Amino acid sequence: MDVILNEIVLFAPAALFNIYFAAASIPLGFGLAILFAFGKASRNPLISALSRGYIYAFRGSPLFIQLFMFYSLALSMNVTHWKPMGIDWLVLHPLFLGPLVLVLNTTAYTAEIFYGALRAVPHGELEAARAYGMSPWQQFRSVTWPHMIRLAWPAYTNEVVFLFHATAIVYLALPVIGEQKDLMIRAKELFERDFNAYLHFPVAALYFLAVSLVVFFVFGRIYERLVRHLQRAPKMRYAPKWIR
Amino acid sequence: MKKLIIVGAALAAFAAPATAQETVRIATEGAYAPWNFLNDAGEPAGFEIDLANAICEEAGITCEIVINDWDSIIPNLLAGNYDVIMAGMSITEERLETIDFSDNYFPPDPSRFVAAPGSNLDFANLTGARVGVQGATIQAGWAEENLGANNTIVAFSTADQAMADLAAGNLDTILADGAYLQPVVDASNGAIEFVGEEVLIGDGVGAGIRKGDAELIETWNTALDALKADGTVDGLIAQWFDGMGPFFSE
Amino acid sequence: MLDLLPEWMRDGIGDDAAFWIGYLTNGKHLAWYASFQFTIFAALLGGTLALVFGLVGAGLKSSRFLPLRAIGDFYSAIVRGVPDVLFFLFFPLAFEQTVEWFVATQVCTPETIAASTSPWPPCREANWFLGTTEYLILASVSLGLVYGAFATNVIHGAMRAVPHGQLEAARAYGFSDAQVFWRFQIRQMWVYALPGLSNVWLLLVKATSLLSLLQIADIVLWADRLGAPNFLPAVGLVHGDWRWRYYLVLLIFYILVTWLSERGFEALMRRAGRGMLNEARG
Repeated sequence: MDVILNEIVLFAPAALFNIYFAAASIPLGFGLAILFAFGKASRNPLISALSRGYIYAFRGSPLFIQLFMFYSLALSMNVTHWKPMGIDWLVLHPLFLGPLVLVLNTTAYTAEIFYGALRAVPHGELEAARAYGMSPWQQFRSVTWPHMIRLAWPAYTNEVVFLFHATAIVYLALPVIGEQKDLMIRAKELFERDFNAYLHFPVAALYFLAVSLVVFFVFGRIYERLVRHLQRAPKMRYAPKWIR
Repeated sequence: MKKLIIVGAALAAFAAPATAQETVRIATEGAYAPWNFLNDAGEPAGFEIDLANAICEEAGITCEIVINDWDSIIPNLLAGNYDVIMAGMSITEERLETIDFSDNYFPPDPSRFVAAPGSNLDFANLTGARVGVQGATIQAGWAEENLGANNTIVAFSTADQAMADLAAGNLDTILADGAYLQPVVDASNGAIEFVGEEVLIGDGVGAGIRKGDAELIETWNTALDALKADGTVDGLIAQWFDGMGPFFSE
Repeated sequence: MLDLLPEWMRDGIGDDAAFWIGYLTNGKHLAWYASFQFTIFAALLGGTLALVFGLVGAGLKSSRFLPLRAIGDFYSAIVRGVPDVLFFLFFPLAFEQTVEWFVATQVCTPETIAASTSPWPPCREANWFLGTTEYLILASVSLGLVYGAFATNVIHGAMRAVPHGQLEAARAYGFSDAQVFWRFQIRQMWVYALPGLSNVWLLLVKATSLLSLLQIADIVLWADRLGAPNFLPAVGLVHGDWRWRYYLVLLIFYILVTWLSERGFEALMRRAGRGMLNEARG
């Protein structure tokens, strides 16, 4: 028992790195995803095609390879771009580049979720809004947005959990600086020392499970608020419709 | 975290105690030219591959080269995925606590710093520099201990990746084996140069073997003695390291 | 490779092109191309196993016997609550250790255990040597287990989506419980499950990029070795850091596989949806 408790304490600082990666990329990804969802639904063929292409490329390829590629791509632009701008210390730092790639990745997945929800917004309500003479912005604020976010929320919750899980890959692809090690690296390192697979990996898994549960709880409460005016709101379940 | 085989086929078998007929599996990294690398044919090549073949021939045993990532190369030796490590591994006190080594087949080799020309690093009291190392090497340990407090130590999984970051200006300097850096500096036409002072860590490069595998260490040392005496080791060093040596034959 | 071409063709393509064709077909590149077989093998075997585990899991989840149901729920909830990469590493290593532990109880003696200096395995005789083949199979099983948990959920949901009237009608015709299950529920379930299974398959395909973490010389490892800068003429072509170009090729490969898979699943869905109501089509 003591061994497990010690292990849990040992992993706590490492968990912070995973939480940081997720927390740093989720808000930005959320905002960009809305833009790309509307981009994909846009009547402008160029904007629509670009958004579609972006979403397809990032959903269609593994994050592991995206991380490798963006690191070496950023590296090859270091002398020509980042150095003259004086931001080379920032761009290539895993604590910046990791969230950057995660943002690019989650934006695509979230945009696809929002796009699906956008298409499910009842047409009648939009027509009614237009009939009232609402401006496009007003239509968005009072009709499209509330519908979209409500419809997308359960799937978005899943995406947030998946993104948190995806943070486990970041340091497997990027260089490790000093003692900045996340749960995966810590577990791998300890395993290679004493070969106790049944201790290190499950404890790391425990952290992922625990944070996932917290996310579900918090997002579930938000969902309750979003649907509080509906009499028969669909229940939120950990049963994704659009899984990554 | 385990191993792969590039040449030869693997058979799942519960290992019997080492006998003369049994295949000896030798692990190398394959990303540390000219010590060991994957050549244009996609096969392991380099100084240590040639040496391993010479040793196996001398000792009359069948050998098989396997490639394993550097950072898990000792754990996987202990776990029994192969029997010998020949991967430019320096003999150190710390490593001797977990594994044994054969006699060295490369003399003690100072570690050195390299940087781009005009770096003006003050090695007497280095602060705020980004120092690249390969993770789990003697240099990584040394840098963490002696430079870690005032500098950023960046660990890469292969030495080549560290070189790529240095070339792209993402590192101020790299600390690595002198014999690994020398050919790179020579071939770089002045794009990379030695800086600072040499650092002596380690007692030369030897083959890592599990503790208690006395028979295998004996085999390796006997073969190495013969190859050192007849000049084969020196010949290979001169061939792969641009005429270095001789170190072992009179 | 280049010398296989007739001479007039070699002259026709010019020195530059000839050089690049030669470079891109050297042994190192050929080894890279060949390594795609590992990725494809892992995807196919992993996908098949995920389907099998998904069916078993869904069967357990809809069991009337509580312990079985609990096992099904536990499997699908826990495995999905953990990052795929963590389980992907854990399963092969844990499986190997478990086998070695069983062997150790049979073959190790106190003397051999005392003689062993490494923390694992307990004695040298209990060591199970795993090569690329074994790791590839274990990695595929591991992918199958992870994505089988997702498939469990998809299939379980799809089984419940089969209209009750269909099953009642079948029962009314005198089909036994087993016949109703196999001939009606499972048969019709596919229509509802295919869209979800298509998603699971795409996830699994992307997870095959992790093979190099188990020391399999897969496409990612070769891309890294090929793209890494080389300074020494003795080693091969001297070039700078070309890694992102190689990774870009892998990225395009995966996007292509995604595209092909989507087309394949569309065709499957059309087939499975024949003779069914329109709304049932994913």
